[in-house]
Amino acid sequence: MAVVSLDRLTKVYDRTLAPAADAVSLEVRHGEFMVLLGPSGCGKTTTLRMIAGLESISAGKLSIDGRIVNEVPAKDRDIAMVFQSYALYPHMSVKDNLAFGLRRRSVSRPEIERRVTAVAGTLGLSGLLDRKPHALSGGQRQRVALGRAIVRDPKVFLFDEPLSNLDAALRVSTRGEIAKLHRRLGATMIYVTHDQVEAMTLGNRICIMNGGRVVQVGAPLAVYRRPANTFVAGFLGNPPMNLLPATGTGANGGLAVKLGETILELPAARCPPIPEGSAVILGIRPENVSDRPDNGGLATTLEAEIVQVEPLGAETIVAARVAGLERDLMARIGADAEWSVGNRCTLALDLSAVHVFDASSGAALALHA
Amino acid sequence: MPALKRALLLIVLCFYTAFAAGPFVWAAMMSLRTTTEIHRNHFAPPIPAHWDKFAEAWFNSNYSLYFANSTQIVVSAVVMLTIIGSMAAHCLARYRFRLNRIIYFVLFSTIIFPPQITIISLFQILVQYGLYNSKIGLTLVYVAIQLPLTIYILESFFARIPSDLFDAARIDGYSDWEIFWRVSLPIALPAVSTTVILNFILLWNEFLYAVVLITEEANRTLPLGIQRFIGDTQEDVGMIATGLMIAIIPVVVVYAFFSERLIQGMTAGAVK
Repeated sequence: MAVVSLDRLTKVYDRTLAPAADAVSLEVRHGEFMVLLGPSGCGKTTTLRMIAGLESISAGKLSIDGRIVNEVPAKDRDIAMVFQSYALYPHMSVKDNLAFGLRRRSVSRPEIERRVTAVAGTLGLSGLLDRKPHALSGGQRQRVALGRAIVRDPKVFLFDEPLSNLDAALRVSTRGEIAKLHRRLGATMIYVTHDQVEAMTLGNRICIMNGGRVVQVGAPLAVYRRPANTFVAGFLGNPPMNLLPATGTGANGGLAVKLGETILELPAARCPPIPEGSAVILGIRPENVSDRPDNGGLATTLEAEIVQVEPLGAETIVAARVAGLERDLMARIGADAEWSVGNRCTLALDLSAVHVFDASSGAALALHA
Repeated sequence: MPALKRALLLIVLCFYTAFAAGPFVWAAMMSLRTTTEIHRNHFAPPIPAHWDKFAEAWFNSNYSLYFANSTQIVVSAVVMLTIIGSMAAHCLARYRFRLNRIIYFVLFSTIIFPPQITIISLFQILVQYGLYNSKIGLTLVYVAIQLPLTIYILESFFARIPSDLFDAARIDGYSDWEIFWRVSLPIALPAVSTTVILNFILLWNEFLYAVVLITEEANRTLPLGIQRFIGDTQEDVGMIATGLMIAIIPVVVVYAFFSERLIQGMTAGAVK
């Protein structure tokens, strides 16, 4: 276990372009499972590669257990990494792949044998030790890649989108194996993904990145419930949060806003008073938009026309057009609702769950417990 | 319909095989006949077969010496080409550094020049360094002329090795030098085999540089040895054919040994 500290870590590839990672500051605690989450090109893999020692650091400090490792080569950082492509040596057997790193570290032969056998047993690879990687399925290759990291018993595990190449079913089961592995080893792990489901299910905390910068760090549900800005609000959740432009009316102590042609009275606990004429963005998750106007706790209703219906079995996702709104409103409703495209409907917004963001900066106007 | 297609394909293949193998079979038959017999009937079968001609060529016509010289020069050149070429190709494919593509282009552009252009300057250089008429001199020239093609073939293969493998090996604790020997080179073995066989065949049969840069009998290679049987007024066709067969045997052996890898190297990347 180890503490990994990133202090304004920056990576510049080309001085004429924006930094790939821009002053990234983050502390990963002992035994924590930290997920770096963000869209493609947000700098999460670059950050991970700097931690691994595979990319030089342009500015900032990186320390592992208090020791600054900016100039320490990858091999001396006591880390192991699982790659998206698995990166198994194709000319070596599974056994040699597992033992390759140990041989370089002058571990005795009996000890290598013991560790390889133990890891192979744990990951269900015992019968595959003499096979070459090309003779393995995707899931088996992924397990070998995991085994190669585990067998070294490193201070820190790094994962670079390790499940991206697996099919949906295998991804779910391997995700479970990684979670189990973390519980069993209790090791510090840093995991890069663009898949929010992986981030939400695996991470003790998630660090959301965008444009090379850290946008928000926190426990998965805390980040989901209290997004720091419109980017996080729109990135987390499927379908994402509805982000609806509105204008303050100045009425009701600054809590009334005009959304399309409707005036909404926001709860005082959700935002500070909004000056008259100020542009804001109201964020409301699809699960807080209901097809039952009489449902308790829902403050207001909107008349809408259904433009898309996606029945998913357990629930139905509906896109509805509301007069005066530029974007369609997404709602997650019960599976029993029999709506079809073109129907008129009444949707109720649970204003106790609304988020209010500044229209120009996108930052949340207030974060509430 | 499939039977007709198959028959047509077989006919085409038979014609092609006869076309390709015909000269070889003819030379093989002539290698077992005397020049007088050949002049009497060019295409007659070798009855009786004069197997003793091989012994005569080997022991009395210095073919053993030419064979040894060719082996020494070509094997040394191929070993040097393989080691230097794969290192250079690995470097050009793997590392980002200034002038990388310019160096690659300059190396590759030398392929377009015909050998006649360089031969006078090479002659001068070898004379100046005391390497003219020596096996070492010819070996170095062979390395120089084949290196660009070797690097070209290997670079395109090395470039296809995923960089994650190098990163994984770095994290596993291996140095760049070890990564080359323990990861890159074993993975690139099909392409390396391709260059080995191509270089071996091209250099084993090379005549132009050898005839200009070697004049002493003790340093002659096989193609020069065969040339000795071609006089100004007459040719010992029978012995030329025997010499050709002796010269071809190593090429056939090398091809048989490496052919599978050659095909792998040439088709690498074609199928996912």
